[in-house]
Amino acid sequence: MNDINYRSKLDFIIRVGGEGGDGVISCGELFASAAARTENHVFTYITYPAEIRGGFSMIQIRVRDWTIYSMGSKVDYLIVFNQEAYDHTIHDLKPGGVVIYDPDHVQIQKDLEAKFYPIPLTKLAVDLTGGVLGKNVVALGALGELFQVNKKGLHKLLKDRYGQKGDVVVEKNLKLLEAGYSAGKKNKLEKKFHLKTETDSKHNFMMLSGNEAVALGAIAAGCRFVAGYPITPATPIFETLTKLMPKVGGRAIQVEDEIAAISAIIGASFAGEKTITPTSGPGLQLMGEQLNLASMVELPIVIVDVQRGGPSTGLPTKTEQSDLKYAIYGTFGESPRIIIAPSSVEDCFYQTIRAFNLAERFQMPVIILTDQSIGYRKATVQIPDVSNMVAVKREQKSGKIVVPTAGRIEIASRAIANSAELVDYKRFLDNAKTGISPITIPGMAGGQYLATGLEHTEDGKANYTPEVHKQMTRKRFRKLTRLSAILEKNPKEYYGSTKTKIGIIGWGSTEGAIREARYIAEKKGIKIRQLHPKVISPLPETKIRHFLMGLKQVIVVEENYTGQFAHFIKAKFGVVPIEIHKYEGIPITPQEIYAGILKVARIVDEENITRL
Amino acid sequence: MKRTLQDYKSDIKPVWCPGCGDYGVLAALQKALLALEIPPEDIITVSGIGCSGRFSHFLNSYSFHGTHGRALPTAVGAKTAKPDCTVLVAGGDGDGLGIGGGHISPVARKNVDLTYILIDNRVYGLTKGQASPTTPIGTKTKTSPLGVYESTLDVLPVFLAYDVSFIARSISTNMKQMTEIMQAAITHKGMSIVYIMSPCVTFPVLKSKEMKEMYQPLPDSYDPTNKMMAFEMAYKSGPMYSGIFYQISKPTLDEQLDSDFEKATRNNKSKPYSVEEVLNGFA
Repeated sequence: MNDINYRSKLDFIIRVGGEGGDGVISCGELFASAAARTENHVFTYITYPAEIRGGFSMIQIRVRDWTIYSMGSKVDYLIVFNQEAYDHTIHDLKPGGVVIYDPDHVQIQKDLEAKFYPIPLTKLAVDLTGGVLGKNVVALGALGELFQVNKKGLHKLLKDRYGQKGDVVVEKNLKLLEAGYSAGKKNKLEKKFHLKTETDSKHNFMMLSGNEAVALGAIAAGCRFVAGYPITPATPIFETLTKLMPKVGGRAIQVEDEIAAISAIIGASFAGEKTITPTSGPGLQLMGEQLNLASMVELPIVIVDVQRGGPSTGLPTKTEQSDLKYAIYGTFGESPRIIIAPSSVEDCFYQTIRAFNLAERFQMPVIILTDQSIGYRKATVQIPDVSNMVAVKREQKSGKIVVPTAGRIEIASRAIANSAELVDYKRFLDNAKTGISPITIPGMAGGQYLATGLEHTEDGKANYTPEVHKQMTRKRFRKLTRLSAILEKNPKEYYGSTKTKIGIIGWGSTEGAIREARYIAEKKGIKIRQLHPKVISPLPETKIRHFLMGLKQVIVVEENYTGQFAHFIKAKFGVVPIEIHKYEGIPITPQEIYAGILKVARIVDEENITRL
Repeated sequence: MKRTLQDYKSDIKPVWCPGCGDYGVLAALQKALLALEIPPEDIITVSGIGCSGRFSHFLNSYSFHGTHGRALPTAVGAKTAKPDCTVLVAGGDGDGLGIGGGHISPVARKNVDLTYILIDNRVYGLTKGQASPTTPIGTKTKTSPLGVYESTLDVLPVFLAYDVSFIARSISTNMKQMTEIMQAAITHKGMSIVYIMSPCVTFPVLKSKEMKEMYQPLPDSYDPTNKMMAFEMAYKSGPMYSGIFYQISKPTLDEQLDSDFEKATRNNKSKPYSVEEVLNGFA
């Protein structure tokens, strides 16, 4: 079915906001889980304070009867626990939207174009249990009533969540839920959308966060070693992998800092394992020297940077796309590495597999750039079909390995030196075509070699002569040239109108928002061509020039202040793009992007008029 | 075919200054490896930066010469991924006690089964004579022209406090003792540190002749499982002692991770779960 012309019968956005520790996130997550059990799709966005308690915390849930690409723009329903949450979010409400609020804690502006329903969340919780903690479950009950959610389903979810705390706690929560339903009824909530039917037609779907998808991608790719150090917002990847590794026969260790984490994965890679370390900007910064070392000794490692707001400690729990330049160019000297930016929760799974394929085959570090918004985003995604998963043979050329998708997942491993290559073995043999050398792992007799961070000859001996430095620098970078040539042959990563003067480029987690903005624009008759590369360094340059051909204006959308990807595009292709930046710690919305597109469309129109 | 010392030498000749203590340490290590008959392909050597950081260049093994101060965590990864290999770490006082000093405690706590040859010449030699954490107070160096004012690090008590499961000290002129200790260290299950005093001939903060007189072997009656006694002997300065100060048995990281695997797969007949099973766990 054509996406642009698809008309939703059900598409709404809820936001639950309150103080950190109020349980707003769990209220929203439980509702999202319930909605995911219907035939609809679900997409959540979470922002919370860096502190354990206090500060503004919220979850936004979009429910739709068709694929969801972004968290959307304005909100249809607002559930606010306190004044701060109300003040923070009321301006995001659609005209005529619904506000459910706690009248004992929130003062509303009566003159607003909105429907207000007072439900005393705190009072109801206190009356029932003697404490305020249950107010989130009262709110969940109100949402249940509002959308006619199957009560049994919610009961089961509550039991799953609180069962460990004992029957008394479960009973208490069921009562709180009931109180929410009753309060909703008493308020005669206007019911527009129904989430009544549970269905098993979606049995092949799961609710997954971007962070979990990365962890699962690593496991599927055959990664069996993780070393890490806790850092927001990447910790859930590390926690998930720590839990999964012993189950699949892999190993997970928590180490003393990020320097030790990357050192350990380099050591494990030297020993032959596929390895990963999850981190965020401050951690990636600390890893710089070792990242360089991995490039120099040509060992495969995968680093995930779940970007957060910077600089310095910055905004640990907020989103930003501001580590791109550091990822591509950061660290001293010139050291090749590959940068991959997944575009959705589902894509996090497949691009992580791709990251391992590329790291192992090209023997260099791969940095996966996600961000807080995609890491904490939960979405309904199709469960990957493992029957589509195959291990590729050692002899298979890297260029023939497919980009992993739901249809086919190829798992590549490093090409271990064969017996012919072990004769007069040179670990860093300069392959004139690919730059890729035969590699050995400990335990292989006759494969012993020295991996040194010093400049070295083909057989690994330290050497600082002009000839050797020139030769080996070229050799290391030739691998990127080779990869770039392969990317030219991969499926193209742009879509939308071929007959247009406006192009739009983005990277990473903004893909869905840009896509929806394009849909809005196209409905209004503005044609757009959209480019969203997943491997963002190196780039397939011919292909990108092809995308740029005929365009009068190019928009680059990114969530940072300085326009890091725009600089990269400018430097590589000599275009002067119009840049849309958002640097507020929250994701850009389709409406915000559309507003930019509209302005550019007017410029292009005027250019056309002038030319006439 | 019987292995010889030659089998543990790479085709790179050591480039240390003539008379450097490190020659003796390298020879002792090669002798110990030969005595233990460890195949070179089953040895992983990781070294840091500095004169003694070059150890990995001269040994025939899977050798890794990384960055300054990070040899230990690199070796932890290698050992964890390849537990059947013998993992050696080599480096100096600047690399191991200065820039990399923070990594010793976590590796000791994990009790990673590796042998750390820490070679102390009490000075930064490769960068040509600056003060290190073990340069004695008052010593004039290029970065302390009026004399070092920081207190000298008491190395062995630090290792004891970290509860490193094997701690020994030797001197680079005592080939027999070094070789014996290294064999014991490599055979030891868990983290072993062989701390060797090795004079620098170019920046002689530690002088060969004085060193030989300064150190005496621990008495035969010494009990290396007695930690308080070890502290006492480690602090003695007249004479200073050499030998195995401390050796205890405790679970290694490898054993802990194996036990984690057993716990995690208990309901799956101690077999790893498949990718499909893992994915379904999230559905």
